[in-house]
Amino acid sequence: MTADNIDKEVTSIVAEVTELEESEIWEKRDADFFKELEIDSLLALEILALIEKKYKIQIPEEKLVDITSLNATIEMTKSVMEESTKK
Amino acid sequence: MLSFEEIRKLVPQKYPFLFIDKVVEFQKGSKIVCLKNITGNESFFAGHFPDFAIMPGVLILEALAQASIILFRKSFDADKDKDKVFLLASANVRFSKPVFPGDQLILEINTEKVVSNAAIVKGIARVGEKIVSKATLSFGVAEKESLKG
Repeated sequence: MTADNIDKEVTSIVAEVTELEESEIWEKRDADFFKELEIDSLLALEILALIEKKYKIQIPEEKLVDITSLNATIEMTKSVMEESTKK
Repeated sequence: MLSFEEIRKLVPQKYPFLFIDKVVEFQKGSKIVCLKNITGNESFFAGHFPDFAIMPGVLILEALAQASIILFRKSFDADKDKDKVFLLASANVRFSKPVFPGDQLILEINTEKVVSNAAIVKGIARVGEKIVSKATLSFGVAEKESLKG
């Protein structure tokens, strides 16, 4: 699985949950989810649950606070996946 | 498994808005199965509809949500969130069969993701073997004070 794929797939998950276009959310990948994109904590939880399902990984609850922008979510996903392959 | 009295303590909703009679199966943090017997005397049948008693789909959804509350509170420390409210954030629901007086609703909830103050669950409501409704719900737990504008 390449890093590019993860970028695309996580973007697609965030687009699905927020009902925004993938291109729009990708353009705003550094935008603050809560302040600029009207994503609340439960939408963040939905994003986290879909990422867990997609990659068959367990993301601990404390990582929920890392879901602050698309870029931060992608980085968090990559780091959790790296951790899980090490085990 | 759980009697009506115990249910009454766990679910903040009360008569005539409590839609669980009994808990028949419980697996901590992952699954619950509840029953609700629908009688012709349910208060909502007075208006829905005066000449044709049919259970409102949104109340089947409410019953699934209440089953989820029991699952959440039984799985975690119920006292911790005693003064908190459960807020439904989203529901993706399908109603496939009507529910009438005399039916027994079997409400099954399986968790998808649970954190300390929120959860995403999948619910199935059945009458006998037949599925009457399927839903994915997400809800959070909040302080009452934080909701006042």
